[in-house]
Amino acid sequence: MLLRQFIKNSSNPPLTPPKEGKLPPFGRVGVGQTSNFKTMKKELNIIGKSHQKLDGKERVSGKAVYGHDIELPNMLHGSILRAKYPCAEIISIDTSKALTLEGVECIITANDVDVNNIGYKRDHPILKKGTVNCNRDEIAAVAAQTKEIADKAIQLIEVKYKIKEGVYDPFEALKETAPRINEFGKGAEQFGNKNVAEYFHYEHGNLAEQKAKSKVIVKKRYELPRVTHACMATSNITAEFNNFDGRLTLWSSTQVPFLYQRDIAHALKMEPSKIRVIQPIIGGGFGSKLDMHPFEPICVLLAKKSGKPVQILYSREEEFLASPTRQPMVIDLTTGCDENGKFTFREVEIIKDNGAYTSWGATTPFVMMQSYSSLYQVPACKFDSHAVYTNNPFAGSFRGYGNPQATFSIESNIDLMAEELGMDKREIRLINANYKGEITGQGLHFKTCGAIPALKTVIEKSNYDKIMAAPNTGRYKRGVGLGSMLHVGGGAKIYRSDGCGTTLKLDDYGYLTIVTGSNEIGQGSETVLAMIAMEELGIPKEKIKVINTDTDVKPWDVGVHASRTSFVAGNSLLGAIKLIKEKLNNKASQLLNVKTNEWEYKDGSMLFNGQEIKLDKVAREMHFASPHELCTVNYFYEPPSRFQDKDFKGDVSGNYAFASQAIEVEVDTVTGNVQVLNVHVSQDVGRVLNPIGLQGQMEGGLATGIGYALTEEMIYEKGILKNPSFHGYKMLTSTDMPDVHFYPIETYDEAGPYGSKGAGEAPLIPTAAAIANAVSNALGVRFYSLPITAEKVLRALSEKKLETRNSKQETNKI
Amino acid sequence: MNFEVISPKTTPELLNAIYDNQTENFRIGAGFTDLINQFKTQETEGLILINLTQLKDDNFKLIIENKTNFQIGALTTASEIIDNKSIKENFPVLYQAASKLASTQIRNVATVGGNICNVSPSGDMTAALIALKATCHIIDCDGNERKELLSSFIRGLKKTSLTKKEIIKNITIPKNAGQNLKSGFEKVGSRKSMEISIVSLAYHLQLTNDGIITHAGVACGAVAPTIPFTTSACEFLIEKNINTISENDKEEFAIKVLEYANPISDIRASDWYRKEVLFNVSKTIFGK
Ligand SMILES: Cc1cc2nc3c(=O)[nH]c(=O)nc-3n(C[C@H](O)[C@H](O)[C@H](O)COP(=O)(O)OP(=O)(O)OC[C@H]3O[C@@H](n4cnc5c(N)ncnc54)[C@H](O)[C@@H]3O)c2cc1C
Repeated sequence: MLLRQFIKNSSNPPLTPPKEGKLPPFGRVGVGQTSNFKTMKKELNIIGKSHQKLDGKERVSGKAVYGHDIELPNMLHGSILRAKYPCAEIISIDTSKALTLEGVECIITANDVDVNNIGYKRDHPILKKGTVNCNRDEIAAVAAQTKEIADKAIQLIEVKYKIKEGVYDPFEALKETAPRINEFGKGAEQFGNKNVAEYFHYEHGNLAEQKAKSKVIVKKRYELPRVTHACMATSNITAEFNNFDGRLTLWSSTQVPFLYQRDIAHALKMEPSKIRVIQPIIGGGFGSKLDMHPFEPICVLLAKKSGKPVQILYSREEEFLASPTRQPMVIDLTTGCDENGKFTFREVEIIKDNGAYTSWGATTPFVMMQSYSSLYQVPACKFDSHAVYTNNPFAGSFRGYGNPQATFSIESNIDLMAEELGMDKREIRLINANYKGEITGQGLHFKTCGAIPALKTVIEKSNYDKIMAAPNTGRYKRGVGLGSMLHVGGGAKIYRSDGCGTTLKLDDYGYLTIVTGSNEIGQGSETVLAMIAMEELGIPKEKIKVINTDTDVKPWDVGVHASRTSFVAGNSLLGAIKLIKEKLNNKASQLLNVKTNEWEYKDGSMLFNGQEIKLDKVAREMHFASPHELCTVNYFYEPPSRFQDKDFKGDVSGNYAFASQAIEVEVDTVTGNVQVLNVHVSQDVGRVLNPIGLQGQMEGGLATGIGYALTEEMIYEKGILKNPSFHGYKMLTSTDMPDVHFYPIETYDEAGPYGSKGAGEAPLIPTAAAIANAVSNALGVRFYSLPITAEKVLRALSEKKLETRNSKQETNKI
Repeated sequence: MNFEVISPKTTPELLNAIYDNQTENFRIGAGFTDLINQFKTQETEGLILINLTQLKDDNFKLIIENKTNFQIGALTTASEIIDNKSIKENFPVLYQAASKLASTQIRNVATVGGNICNVSPSGDMTAALIALKATCHIIDCDGNERKELLSSFIRGLKKTSLTKKEIIKNITIPKNAGQNLKSGFEKVGSRKSMEISIVSLAYHLQLTNDGIITHAGVACGAVAPTIPFTTSACEFLIEKNINTISENDKEEFAIKVLEYANPISDIRASDWYRKEVLFNVSKTIFGK
C-alpha cells in the first residue's frame, strides 16, 4: 500500500494528446500551480505526516465514552412502540395495562403532546395519530426504571388498527388512482401530484442540437437498492430537562449540533438557546445523523413528563428498522456522444422512493445534478427528479448523498457508449475528462482539477492492459472496470452560512485550547486541527486540547456533511492562528525589545535572530503584566462559495474533488460470487494533511462502496423489512476487503487549508460503478441494478448459456 | 434474560443436575453461540441453564485417537478442531468446515456438540461429520450409554433422537482405510466470514494409490430440512477413477446429489439458486 505515491510523469504517452492549452499539464502534481498561498510554499513538518487520532487510544482500549455509556442519577430508560402495519388507521390506543406494570414511570402518545411536525418538509409527526404510514412509525413511548421493563410495557400497549392497502412502489404512487400517502405533503399544490414530495429540475445547453450531433445514443434504466449505514454504535440519546429553569441538556450523536438544536426547539416549541447539545464519542455517522429523528424529541418528551433524565438506545434490530437509509431510485439515463467519442448530452429522469416522510435525503438531487451536469465535459444536460411518497420507511442522507447512484448510471452508460462506438474505454474517459480552469455548464469553476492525472494513474497502476489481454476461460473470470467521480471539496453553500468559528486560548503553561464549531464524528478532523496548530505554533500534541462537543461553549458551524470539516474548520483555525500570532508577536517583540513580525514558532518557543522566549512566558506576561490582556482570539471563516441561483447554477463549493478508481474483480462462475481483488484509487485531495487518516477514509469508504455494489440490500416485502440483522443484511467484513492501492493527487487548491480539498465521501462514490463495469468486462453481461448478488450473476450466466445454446439451435440440458 | 445457572464440574454432577431438573424447564449450554440468540426471542423466565463450560471430563473435551476411530469430545471447539494435526491430516473436510465457520471469536467457543444439537441444516461441522459417517455417543442421567449414527440421530428439522435425560458425550469418526484422500468442504455464501452457508457440500473420498474411489461420503447443507448423506451419489462414485472421471460422470454425480436437495427460498437465496449452485459445486470437487 503506497500512502503517498505521488504522480510522476508517465513514461507512456497519453492516449490522446491533450489539446494545447486546453488541458492541464499532466505530470508531477503541483508542477504548474501558480498559487502563492503562503502556507503552501512553506516547508512543513507536521502536515503530510501520519498522526494518530487524538482519541485513538481511548477508542481501541474501550475507554471511550459513547452515548450508550452515559448514566445519570435517577435515569430512566425509554422504549418506543412502532406500527405493526406499514399502512393503517389507528382506531384506538390503550396504555392502561402498560401503566400498571411496576417500574413504568410514564407513557406518551400523540394525544399527550403539543409538538410540531419535523423533517425537511415538516411532513413528519413525531408521534403518529390517525394514520400510520410506514413500518417504523412511532405510536407510543414508555419511560421505565429499566430497559427490560420499558420493552415489556411496550408490548402491553394495545393498539387497534384498521389495516389499509399500502403503496410500496413509487410508480404506483404516482398514478391518479393512488391514495394520498402523506397528509401533510404539498405535492398537489406544488408539483401537480399529491404523492410527489420534492421535485428538482435542472438544464443547460441546447439539448436538441446536441442530440442531432450524436453518433451514439444510449438509453438505459438503472435501479438502486435501499441500503443503510449500519453504524457500529446504534442510535442513542440521553435527555435531561431542568424544570426550574426550563433548560434541556441532550447527549446526542447528531452530526449537526446547531441545526439539531434548532430542529429540537422547533419540534418541541422551545427556545433554541435553552437546549444544550453535548456530543459524546460517536460510533459512526456517515450521514445518518444529519436529520433529527423522532426518537430524539420523544426522549425529551419522556424526560419532561417523568421529571427524570431518560435514555433511549436502539437495539441492532431497531437500528435496521428505524434508522435512515440511502435513497432507492430508478434512473432513466440517456446519453450521447459524437463520432469521436466526445460527449454531447445527458438527459436523466429519476424517480426516488422517498418513503413515508421527507428528510434531508430528498435534496440529494442537488448533488446528483452536479454529477450529471459536470462529471466529464457535458455540453447539454437536462435533469428531472421526483421524490415520491410511498409506505416504505423514509430515506435519509448517506455518505455520497445521491452521488454513488448518479455515478453508477453515468459510468455504466459511458462503457456502453464506448462499446457501441468501438472505442477504448480509457480513451473515451480521457478525452472527455474535466480540466483545470473549466467552468461547467452548471457554473462550477474548477480552479484546480486532478481528474486527468487521477484517471491516468489508476489506468497505469491497475495493469489494465494485462488484465484485458489475459485469457478469460475457466471457472474464475477476471475483469477490470473504471469509474470516476466529482464531488464538492470545499463545503457546499446550502445554508445561509457554510462557515465555522474558532476560539483559541493559550494558557499560562503554554497549552493551547482550540474551541472549534466543527464536530468530530470519527472522521479524524480534530486530529487534523491539532496538526495544523502544531505546524503553525510549534506546540507539541500533548499540549493541545480540542473542545468541540458542547453547543453552550463552541461557536457556530453548520455541521459534518459534504466532506467539509477539515476544509472549513481548518481554514477557520488558520485564520484564528494568524490572529493569535499577531498578539504573541507583539508581546514577544515588546518583551525582548525587538521590532519584528517574523517570529518563528518552534518547540513551545518563539525565536527571532538568535533570541528565544517560551510561549508560556509570553502568555503569562500578557495575563499578569500590564495592560493585562487575555491570550485568546476568535475567528470566523466563511468559504468563498456562493448560493446557486434558482436554476441551480453557480459555483457552490470552495473547490472540487475528483477521483478515479480502477477495480479488478474475479467472478466465480460456479457460485456467481464476485470477489474484488484490487482497488486502485486515485483522488485529488488538494493536499494530503494526515496520510493515515486519509487512508482510513479510503478504506472505510471502499468497504461501504463494495457492499453497495455486491451484497448490501434492505429487503422489504410490502413495507416490512425482512432482514433486520447482520445475519441477513450482508455488510462485508474485514476479511472481504481487497488490497487498496491509493495514489493521492495533490493539486494545491488555494481555497483549502494548505491546498487541501474535502475527501471523506469520495472513496465510495465511483466504487459500485467501477465494480459493475469490471463484472461486465469479466462476463460480457451487464448489470443495471445493484447489488450484483451471486444469484443475479448466476441467473444472468444461465440465461446467457441458454441464449447461446438456442442460437446454436442445440437442445437445452440443465 | 433471567435464569438460574448450574455449572457442574464433573460428569456425576452433570448427570445429577439433569436428573434433578427433569421436570423443570432446563437447557444445556456449551458455547452459547446458538442459545444466546434463541434467548433473545424466547421467554427465559423460570429457565434453568446447565452450563457445560466448567465441566472437566476428557471424554467430553478431548480429541483422542482410538484403535478404529477418532473420538471428539462434544465440548471440543471449532478452534480446537482446526488446531488438531490428526484432524487436519485425516479429515480435511472437518478441518475446512471448522475453519469456515463464523469468525475467530465464535470459533473459540462454538462446540461440535452444540453444532450437532442445534440441528440446523446449515451446520457446517455437522455436514462434515455426516459425510464422515460419524457416530454420536450419548449418555443419560441414569448412567445409560448408547450410540447412534449421526445421520440417523438427526430426525428432522430441529429434531434429534435425544430425550430430555440425554446428552451427547462425544462423537467418533471411523479411521480412513488408507492415506489417499480427496476431502474438502465447499461453503457458498456472500461473505468470507460471519456467514451461514447458503449451500454447503462436504465430501470425503478415499482413494487407492491409482485414484480409484473406494469409499465415498458426501453430504450437502442448507438444501433440505436436514443435512442428507447422499447415498446414491456416493455409490455412483465407487470404483470410478478420480483422475480420469469424465465430464458426463461428474454431471451425473451432480444430478444424483441434487436429488437430495429440496431447498427453500428465503431472503438469502432462492431455491433455484441453491439448486443451481449445488449442482455446479458438485461438479467441481474432482479437480486438483
Ligand atoms: C455470529 C454467528 C455466526 C455463526 N456462524 C456459523 C457458521 O458459519 N457455521 C455454523 O455451522 N454455525 C454457525 N453459527 C452457529 C453456532 O455458532 C454453531 O452452531 C455452534 O457450533 C454452536 O455451538 P455452541 O457450543 O455455541 O452451542 P450452544 O449455543 O451452547 O448450544 C446449541 C444447542 O445445542 C445444545 N447442546 C450443546 N451441547 C450439547 C451436548 N453436549 N449435548 C446435547 N445438547 C447440547 C444446546 O442445548 C442448544 O440447544 C454461528 C453463530 C453465530 C452467533
